[in-house]
Amino acid sequence: MSPKSLPSSKKPLLSLLVRHPAFLGALIGILAAFSQALLISAGGPEAYGFCVACHTRDLVNGMTNIIADTSLALAPISKNAILPVMSVVGVIIGAFLSAKVHKEHKIKRTDHREYFIYFIGGFLVLQFAMIFGGCPYRAALRTGYGDITALLFIITMALGVVAGTLYMLRKAEKEES
Amino acid sequence: MATGILSKEVAIYAVPLVTLLLGILIGYLAQRSGYCSIGGFRDFALFRHTRLLSGYLTLIIASFFGYLLFWFLTPSAMEHFFWALTSNPLTPVPGAPAGLAPAAYLIFAAIPGFLVGLICVLLGGCPIRQTVMASEGSYKAGFFFIGMCVGSVIFAAFVSGWVVVLMRAIGLGV
Repeated sequence: MSPKSLPSSKKPLLSLLVRHPAFLGALIGILAAFSQALLISAGGPEAYGFCVACHTRDLVNGMTNIIADTSLALAPISKNAILPVMSVVGVIIGAFLSAKVHKEHKIKRTDHREYFIYFIGGFLVLQFAMIFGGCPYRAALRTGYGDITALLFIITMALGVVAGTLYMLRKAEKEES
Repeated sequence: MATGILSKEVAIYAVPLVTLLLGILIGYLAQRSGYCSIGGFRDFALFRHTRLLSGYLTLIIASFFGYLLFWFLTPSAMEHFFWALTSNPLTPVPGAPAGLAPAAYLIFAAIPGFLVGLICVLLGGCPIRQTVMASEGSYKAGFFFIGMCVGSVIFAAFVSGWVVVLMRAIGLGV
């Protein structure tokens, strides 16, 4: 499925592998299953190895519960453990390290209107992701776990992406003419 | 009750540590490869590029084989593996608002799926891509992440209750 090229020496092969999205996809799939096998005793739900939206929810609500002594809803695995799941913190640290090491870290500012749009966008994406019970990544894990509703989510998500792409194309055409 | 490799006493301490290490690895590689699920579908629709899409499709296939592998190795940790066969195929793996009829979960999958795809493609990336771009120094992606953090408190406090009330009002409660 993925285009595989075979360079002669070993180091380019490794760097090519690291830079290919299919490698990361395979890694997330296997490691999510491994982390469930390792940690499920702490509590459910199943197919919860990696998810950006749910793990953000667990992190924020879990920390708010600890600091402000509230009782916001979160997944049992984060409720039972001493601290909620930390994978989003890990993603931020890992991406920051990688960007610094490879000199791709660059501050990019825009205007306030765009900040507001992105804030509302993030807010809405989290609401819809939580109503379904996962972001695109947990939807993929759930599909792998045998959940039919998650497959429906992926299909309608693809339709939504196509609709958004067509909208953007039409807008670009209008600006040109 | 499902039991994993670690006992409950150990697992409650291991959860933050293991997920943190997993996240660092994923974040590092996601920054290297520009990994994005929404971007995969977008590039395919626009240019027929399959590079990013292959990442997302590989994730679905690899997660199936990963769960299958650990189902063989530690069956007690994968209590309901292949969910559609071992449980009611129309109710999801727990995580969505609980206690509703199966039809409600199909609505929960179809409509939010479309809206998540639409919003994310207009903003130029799925949640993980936005988080990675925020780490790379993009302010607007940082505001996307802050929006997700604020949204999670609002969802737990208000929206999840409203959704259940709405579904009961149209006759999809239990």
